[in-house]
Amino acid sequence: MSDMKDMIVDVVERMLKENVDKDLVDTVEQGKWAPKVWHLFKENGMNVVAISEEHGGAGGDLEDLLNIVRLTGKYAAPIPFTETTLANYLLAYTNLQVVSDLATHMLSTDQAYTLENAKLTGEAIHIHWARHTKHLVTLAISAEGTHLVEIDLSHAEITQSTNLANEPRDTVKFHNAAVSQVSAVLSLDEIRAITILETAFQLARMTGAIEKINDLTVQYTKEREQFGRPIHRFQLVQQHIVNLAGETTVALAAFNNVTDALLTHSHNSEVAYARIRFEEVIQAVSTISHQVHAAIGTTHEHSLHQYTRRLWSWRDEGTKISYWTDFVSTQLLENSGDSLWAYLTETKIPMTIEGVIFNG
Amino acid sequence: MFHLPTVQFTEEQEQFRLEVRAFLHEELKKGSFVPKCDSWLSGADSEFSKSIAQKGWIGITWPKKYGGQARSTIDRYILTEEFLAIGAPVAAHWFADRQTGPLLLRYGTEEQRQFFLPQIMKGECYFGIGLSEPNSGSDLASVSTRAEKVEGGWIVNGQKIWTSNAHLCHYMVTLVRTSPFDGKQKHAGLSQLIVDLHAEGITVVPIKFLTGEHHYNEVFFENVFVPDNMLVGEIGNGWAQGLAELAFERSGPERILSTFPLLDELIQELKRQNNTEGLKQASKIVARLWGLRNLSIGVAQLLESGEGDNVSISAALVKALGTKFEQSIPELTRLLVQTYPTLDAQRKIDRFMAESILHAPGFTIRGGTSEVLYGVVAKGVVAQ
Repeated sequence: MSDMKDMIVDVVERMLKENVDKDLVDTVEQGKWAPKVWHLFKENGMNVVAISEEHGGAGGDLEDLLNIVRLTGKYAAPIPFTETTLANYLLAYTNLQVVSDLATHMLSTDQAYTLENAKLTGEAIHIHWARHTKHLVTLAISAEGTHLVEIDLSHAEITQSTNLANEPRDTVKFHNAAVSQVSAVLSLDEIRAITILETAFQLARMTGAIEKINDLTVQYTKEREQFGRPIHRFQLVQQHIVNLAGETTVALAAFNNVTDALLTHSHNSEVAYARIRFEEVIQAVSTISHQVHAAIGTTHEHSLHQYTRRLWSWRDEGTKISYWTDFVSTQLLENSGDSLWAYLTETKIPMTIEGVIFNG
Repeated sequence: MFHLPTVQFTEEQEQFRLEVRAFLHEELKKGSFVPKCDSWLSGADSEFSKSIAQKGWIGITWPKKYGGQARSTIDRYILTEEFLAIGAPVAAHWFADRQTGPLLLRYGTEEQRQFFLPQIMKGECYFGIGLSEPNSGSDLASVSTRAEKVEGGWIVNGQKIWTSNAHLCHYMVTLVRTSPFDGKQKHAGLSQLIVDLHAEGITVVPIKFLTGEHHYNEVFFENVFVPDNMLVGEIGNGWAQGLAELAFERSGPERILSTFPLLDELIQELKRQNNTEGLKQASKIVARLWGLRNLSIGVAQLLESGEGDNVSISAALVKALGTKFEQSIPELTRLLVQTYPTLDAQRKIDRFMAESILHAPGFTIRGGTSEVLYGVVAKGVVAQ
């Protein structure tokens, strides 16, 4: 963890609290743009946290960055922060030059573009914020293999669309467009690492939204009275509160473990476990929060839906649960001989006991 | 919601885990135990407890001056996990190690520590927990077993119930009423006495568990004399002392892993069948377990650092979530593989299933019912 973490988190939380409210999120949901918030983030160097100084970065590490992403989720910040910072992180990771304008990414191998003679062709849907951003960082497949490329979005034909939360999710089409940068051919491990990072950023943003939903809901049970007393006094509501707090606590701890694991390069299953577990968290948290808020939570007037609609959208974006259940089940299968316990507590210390290799 | 610390095991701790695991695999190979689900309740084996004691693994967190190793709560956590994951028979010394030792270290007299702790660490002295009574389960304030002051000690009359392994235990830490019940101060007037279970006036009556096995007991006290030096802590402070034990009791791996041997066997079975669909379903269970472990280890870390006033609330949350999880394993198993649950089955999975199904109803009751824990956690959340 960087020494700066607490300070950065404080600064960002204050910035978001002061500058992002429901009305602003509404404005952006109506298709407008929030230049002031983005400008603030940029002015404070938040867009280049965790990028090395040789790449024009501002220091800080991945944990700092993921915590900023978490906060942008907590405030439903209507800016492509996750997108720009992940794009830059991946550019730096593959030894390409980071960009200073807004950027976005498309990291699905399923809809990767075709690369030939440094020209990109193809169409991909649901690209975050494409209409507002300048650079696209994407996977592209050439005769040699898979690359990460960076391309100027002014070369693209963009068709606007949105997700459930009215966040921009556009279709981006290229025809023989010149790319700005191309990475070397990526190994399967590197592609896996990109998927892990992408998922970690998603988890961060979802964690923030989950925290906010928990806060809004607990607050509501204190303020709302029925039958002459606040509703948190009713046992059935208490059951909701505990289940909500439980799921939120699990999500936060999972997120923290993921950042720890990434930082120490200790293991890579944490991201898989967390992403699989988040599916249940999101299901529980969104159901409980709406049930507790009752009718008011289903209205546009209340801010709850700004978070639940985002969660419902985000869980289906990027690398989904099916990828990670495949990942874990394959590991379980190929780990035969070992116990589940050995797998779950896998360490880096190999040890042999009478022909049985633990955690080799 | 609660912010629990994350823990990265050190290299020494990882090494310790492998050391414990190697020992258990050796013992398993020698046939010194048969793995069981819920072995911390049903696996009482004094020979096995003694062999653990020889390794120095009972009371490992206790101070060196009593024969302990002064190791961290996290080390103890690792040790506990390894016992439970393999289903080792640890019930005999469990409660003394988990609760009585820490209680005496915190509230006991020097004489009590010097007398009991070394015996516990040798695996020769077991304790029962004397809380519940026939008419006071979750409502401990209504405890009515009473102790009357006499010259040099106390005379105890009354009854305890659901005392795990009381028939094997040497002593019981017994919550008694030392002052008459006061409706305005329900929690006042309770004290903790160490009662010698072989003393005159004690009758231990088995209560058969729904497996037909004998784990629980009723314990009757008829004019039992307990000397003054067996009072733990202060007179009238029994409630507060009891509460302090709860965080240790509620958040440990035993609230998550009681049915782990079954889950492990389920995975092996799915692997043998090359059942990738089943393994995908199982990966969700693995993720749930991982998520819970994060919380449980986080609470252990809080207990280690002595931080966090609401650690007892987090511990209650871990217990409520963890026991629901361990309870869910047999249900998920039967949906993924064919089993014929039988207590004396040849196939391990059938036996583990039988043990899990029949033990599962107790998980969300013992150590605080989920209903009571939910109330504790909800109040804690609202107060935040």
